[in-house]
Amino acid sequence: MGMTRKYWKGLDELKETPEFLKSRDEEFPKEMSVEDFLGDDSLAESSTDRRDFLKFLGFSVAAATVAACEAPVVKAIPYVNKPENVMPGMPTWYASTYYDGNSYASIVVKTREGRPIFIKGNKDHGITKGATNPQIIASVLGLYDSARLTTPTKRSDLSTWSAVDKDIIAAIAKVKAKNGKVVLVSNSIISPSTDKAISALSLAVGSGTESNAFEHIQYDAQSYAGIRKANMQSFGESFIPDYDFSKAKTIVSVGADFLNSWLLPTQFAPQYIASRNPDGEWMSRHFQFEANMSVTGSNADERGMIKPSQQANVLAYLLKAFGAPVSGVSSEISAQATKVADQAIKSLKASKGASLVIAGSNNAAVQILANKLNVVLGSYGKTIDVANTINMFKSEDEKMIKLANNVIAGKGPDMILFYGVNPVYTLPNGKAFGEALKKMNNTISFAGHADETASNCEFICPDHHALEAWNDFNPKKSHYAIAQPTIRPLHNTAQAQESMMVWGGVASRGGKDSKVFYDVIFDNWDLTGFQTQTEIADLNTYWGVRVHNSVAEEMTLVPVSVTFNETALSGLSDKLPKTSTLEVEMYQKAGLGIGNQANNPWLQELPDPITKVTWDNYITMNPVEMTGKYATTFDQEHGLNLATITVNGKSVTLPVYPTPGQTPGTVGVALGYGRGENQEKIGRAAFQTKEYGGYKEDENGKLMPIGANAFAFLGSENGTMSYSAPASIKQEEGMYIIAATQIHHTVMGRHSIVRETTLETYKNKDKEAYNPSYTLQKLDENGHHVEAPMSEFDLWDAHPVENIGHRWAMTIDLNSCIGCGSCLIACQSENNVPVVGKDEVRRGREMHWIRIDRYFASDEEAAIGTRKDKDTFSFDKAEIAAENPKVIHMPMMCQHCNHAPCETVCPVAATTHSNEGLNQMTYNRCIGTRYCANNCPYKVRRFNWFNYPSYKKFTEINPAQDDLGRMVLNPDVTVRTRGVMEKCSFCVQRIQAGKLVAKKEDRPVVDGDVTTACSDACPANAIIVGDWNDVNSIVRSSSADKRSYQALEEVGVKPNMWYKTKVRNEDNKELDLLQVEPVAHGSHGNGGHEEKAHH
Amino acid sequence: MFRNFNKWCLWLLAVALTSFTFNSSAQGEALFKAKCASCHQPHKDGTGPKLFEVRKKWADGGAKEGSIYQWVNNWQIAAATDPYAKNVSTWSKTAMNAFPELKVDEINSIMDWIDSQPDPATVVVGAAGPNGVVEPGMVEEESSKAWIWILLAVISVIVISTIGGVRRQLKQATALSEGIELNDALSYMGEFKVWAYNNKAVVGVSSLILFITLLVTGMQGLGNIGVVQGYQPSQPIEFPHSVHAGVNGIDCKYCHNSVNNSKSAGLPTVNVCMNCHKQINGNTPEQQAKIAKIYEAAGWDPSGAGQYTGKTKEIIWNKVHALPDHVYFPHSQHVAVAGIDCKQCHGDMTQQKETAKIQLVEDLNKIEGNVKLTKPTLTMGWCIECHGEKEISTGSLDSKNSGYYNEIHKRLLNNDKKLYSGYLKDGKVTVKELGGWECAKCHY
Repeated sequence: MGMTRKYWKGLDELKETPEFLKSRDEEFPKEMSVEDFLGDDSLAESSTDRRDFLKFLGFSVAAATVAACEAPVVKAIPYVNKPENVMPGMPTWYASTYYDGNSYASIVVKTREGRPIFIKGNKDHGITKGATNPQIIASVLGLYDSARLTTPTKRSDLSTWSAVDKDIIAAIAKVKAKNGKVVLVSNSIISPSTDKAISALSLAVGSGTESNAFEHIQYDAQSYAGIRKANMQSFGESFIPDYDFSKAKTIVSVGADFLNSWLLPTQFAPQYIASRNPDGEWMSRHFQFEANMSVTGSNADERGMIKPSQQANVLAYLLKAFGAPVSGVSSEISAQATKVADQAIKSLKASKGASLVIAGSNNAAVQILANKLNVVLGSYGKTIDVANTINMFKSEDEKMIKLANNVIAGKGPDMILFYGVNPVYTLPNGKAFGEALKKMNNTISFAGHADETASNCEFICPDHHALEAWNDFNPKKSHYAIAQPTIRPLHNTAQAQESMMVWGGVASRGGKDSKVFYDVIFDNWDLTGFQTQTEIADLNTYWGVRVHNSVAEEMTLVPVSVTFNETALSGLSDKLPKTSTLEVEMYQKAGLGIGNQANNPWLQELPDPITKVTWDNYITMNPVEMTGKYATTFDQEHGLNLATITVNGKSVTLPVYPTPGQTPGTVGVALGYGRGENQEKIGRAAFQTKEYGGYKEDENGKLMPIGANAFAFLGSENGTMSYSAPASIKQEEGMYIIAATQIHHTVMGRHSIVRETTLETYKNKDKEAYNPSYTLQKLDENGHHVEAPMSEFDLWDAHPVENIGHRWAMTIDLNSCIGCGSCLIACQSENNVPVVGKDEVRRGREMHWIRIDRYFASDEEAAIGTRKDKDTFSFDKAEIAAENPKVIHMPMMCQHCNHAPCETVCPVAATTHSNEGLNQMTYNRCIGTRYCANNCPYKVRRFNWFNYPSYKKFTEINPAQDDLGRMVLNPDVTVRTRGVMEKCSFCVQRIQAGKLVAKKEDRPVVDGDVTTACSDACPANAIIVGDWNDVNSIVRSSSADKRSYQALEEVGVKPNMWYKTKVRNEDNKELDLLQVEPVAHGSHGNGGHEEKAHH
Repeated sequence: MFRNFNKWCLWLLAVALTSFTFNSSAQGEALFKAKCASCHQPHKDGTGPKLFEVRKKWADGGAKEGSIYQWVNNWQIAAATDPYAKNVSTWSKTAMNAFPELKVDEINSIMDWIDSQPDPATVVVGAAGPNGVVEPGMVEEESSKAWIWILLAVISVIVISTIGGVRRQLKQATALSEGIELNDALSYMGEFKVWAYNNKAVVGVSSLILFITLLVTGMQGLGNIGVVQGYQPSQPIEFPHSVHAGVNGIDCKYCHNSVNNSKSAGLPTVNVCMNCHKQINGNTPEQQAKIAKIYEAAGWDPSGAGQYTGKTKEIIWNKVHALPDHVYFPHSQHVAVAGIDCKQCHGDMTQQKETAKIQLVEDLNKIEGNVKLTKPTLTMGWCIECHGEKEISTGSLDSKNSGYYNEIHKRLLNNDKKLYSGYLKDGKVTVKELGGWECAKCHY
């Protein structure tokens, strides 16, 4: 009967606040008056009356018409010498690898006429199986960032490579002469060839031998040193093992956000999804214990709320249940978490040997407990591979802290080089470090921007952008990968490795087409790759194949077994984090991560998967805790309360955002914000902008960074960085306006949008129980009322798309979608979707063609009309459930309805239906009445309120507003102008291209010919695209699956998109009871019930 | 009668003679262009030496009789037997091709033709060369002449008002002299109103005519906005298609070589030009000047043996067929899939002596096999009209045949016979019927 849970998108919807009710009823907020809109007071006072206005209007129309008569002369400039593999008008794809010290993925880069314009995951090769994350896809925009350094600098004066080289070589000689010390600080280096370059530099410094004169410190902003340290103590070796989530029948994650940030999410997400198939032999059960509602937690079957300091308690509780209690470690957790932990124990016992427990803490003591538990559960050798260890994250936190303290104390080394790191920003004492650095000489940064650290260095020797450079990687012991350049360096930059070799005296500058580092990689691969294999006889063929695939196939390793050293467990209690009444946890957002792409407007505007907030970080707090103190609901006019968090004497002031699922007694703050505090030139989009363009300035005329830097809160425990801390919070005066995308699109009580069931119900009950089809009544030939499926009802003649020609269709599996946002960024990149900025998002005018709706669900709530206690039930009671809700992520875009309501209301036929099932949008016809958007039941149409590529309001944020930024635009998609509607086109440019490939080969279109940007990007393969009319296509069978349904089927718009019911592997008796198979009954359809009962 | 007969005989003889000489010379020219022109020129050394009066040169140089023909057939045999020929073989390191298929009289016809070519160095500059000379002034067509009209209009307004003023003063003077009271307050407009009031019928009819004329021309003018038919921009190099595609018979796709694979046909890159123009540097000063521009772009120093200097410069052409940004026209769909010949849309470029232009639809309609269209070239109406008429071949509906369109037709045939038979009423399935009129086929 009906659907079962109440879903809401925000607390204001749940509580039906007056602000919400008002905004819900308005498709387009209209709170802005004309004076505001024009943004100029003098205009309101001007003497221009209506008649003058009409005259001007008439004149401009006439002028525009006359101007349009003359077709402009268009230039065409062919190549002088065309590169062999470039075909004008056609894309060229290059396989490569992405690694920024925090994320890793095998990628494929699409170039047009030599410009990289799109990045997607490499589905054919590499350990990441085509998975990426929003940051990787968006990194292509960073290539065209106008704030990149175009030439080396010395004390911020432009310099030349020869001058800089001369100075640095002389400086090295001087340091050497006085037996000084050189330190290289880098992020974790996983490139074997880079190691060679570094050792060349090291040898030069250390008079022919490796010596104490040169120190290489690897330092990651997000450190996982605790895991290495714990393994050293547990197993006698420092390593990060490889985890295999696809083999784990029970997954217990204690504070590890492994789908978003923890270690190698690009490998873990596809593995996790593989274990979540409800039609498979088994489906994994996922328990999450955490403080912040993370992306991973939102996907969990069961979620326990704990404080960051209680990770050890959970592990101890589990260990106790398995008969291995740890003395001195408390196993006390909240009643709610205990309930979940008990279920986890049950599940772990049932799936011993096929389970996995991970902990997110960077505290070695916590990780030792996790190790012990995995040993007890027999995970080693099954779900944890100790042989094929992860090479990434070799952060030496202790050394870095020592270095920073030395520098601050003026006892620094004689020379420091910074490569791939920004410690002034990411160290808790970064500010002091920066001040001290400024006074030092012989400081060199390889940063591409004059960032927080680089701007304090004597020399900046800008490295190439990753898409301009050769590189190789060894992310896991048995896995090697290559990164190849996809464009000639845009600026006068030089590869950092080349610089090191030049200063090390083993190479000379190679200029723009330098092959210096390429030769190192090639020789390295010849020596260690080619000569150790027998498969390919010719070196050039070997190298060609490796570069083409961008990876070397994995070698098989001898399995390694480990024995746990029980002494590691002794004395743990002192090393565990201390509990406090309020704890703050620092986390990485899907968009900004550790903040190295804070200047990327695509990522800034990516709504957070959970809070749906753009362009800001904030304090997340459980709304239950906020009640009575802070505003728990907000509207985008007035914003949220501000509060100051203080940790260790350092404070930041941020708005408090009500986030259901946040553990009471904890708050969360995202890392990666607050960059450019000291006016560093890190990029146009990295600073707050005013409502009508231009930057916001504080009282001193300084630009204001976006959000606040939470790295200041980092502490260190036992020599490793800790990402949670005891804190105090104080409410501040005033409100802060925040821009979220969630409160504009409401469910309006239509529960047929999202569907969810339990594995139990799914396995044992009929489809009608959890995925009921809608029926309406009709008169049969005997004049009786009978129930008939929706497909039989038509107001109009059907479009002839079924089984004729093509019918492009898509299925989206809600069970696979993890809500990461990759599809959104991919769509933005593919379809030239404009960035609109915080102020416009606040007004509900974001332009994203695909959005990911996040619905909260409570455990106790039943669907309206099906509750037994419906007489006494009120919405207020559901408030308690909001404390720890279940979450569903639902990508929503144009559904390409075959009975599209938008098409019938367009007065100029600008939106029409194609015989391939597409809802076409013809921009050059659109006159901007916006009737279509009003009529769209899915609210997916977007209106171009402004000329985003040229209007001054967007100068700071829209990449299409400068010549470099424009290079990222996809030439196959029109850049829309002001006054037209736009929406998901089903990537029609790719459909046309895909069909053309088939036509040229004279064969029917098959699966894989046509993909959309979103389906390309999805790390979970949740989005399947194809020709529904091809009876052999995957999308055809997927759409016929018993989990498939169409959103809002009852309105009869007949979409070409299907969603697949989410199946959670949870104990949920309430849900099971509610989802019962229908008994044949009289004259009322389900749809009728729901609609009636609602209002 | 006899006299007539003689006349007839003489006439016939004359015709026979002229036609023979004509044929011989034409044959020589054709053979030269086909076999020799890539390396040799009449008056200029290229990869091979200049060939003007080469027979005389060989004979004067003491070559054996007939060895020059042997040389053409296979130079190695000639060099082995004739010391003069052996000497010639050292002229360049590049070996000459063998042409065993050329008969003596054919070789003679080539040589005859070469010897009949005037030396361009002696030709007076300005005289029309054989090919590709463009009338002066054409390049100037873009410079606007509007200022002349504006000037004329201003002058005429001044003249009219001056005359009007004079007339008024005269009138006043006469009125004064005749002592008639004049209403001085009456302005020009006032006078006109009085006059118009007195001639209501004339004013009414003429303003109606004026109004309708303005309306009609206005509407027609609006209809012409964006119509680029006949557009022929000037170009940095006045490239004669007639010489390349016409005289030399170079295939369109040799230069526009992405036409089969990409949405754009592709402009030839300079290195493609250099494939031929390394050797061919022009017979007339005009040609040489044009080709020198290619050398400049490619960074080619033609002096001596010729070499690349590495200093390249792009050639900035003015795009002729420039579609608006929101139109996606894939060449490969039309050329590779639909098999449409270039000339069906671009006209017969072998005849295009001047720079390229957008052909008039009337001219395109004359092309054999073209659908007859009425809308101006390169307007959306033009595209749509053609899509409405053009047939998409059903191919064989045999189940073994699995081409793209076979599958589409099969789906129609098997799933909606009624619709399909509707399509087939005119005996064909048109592009339109398979969706060729839909917006998102070209606009996205």
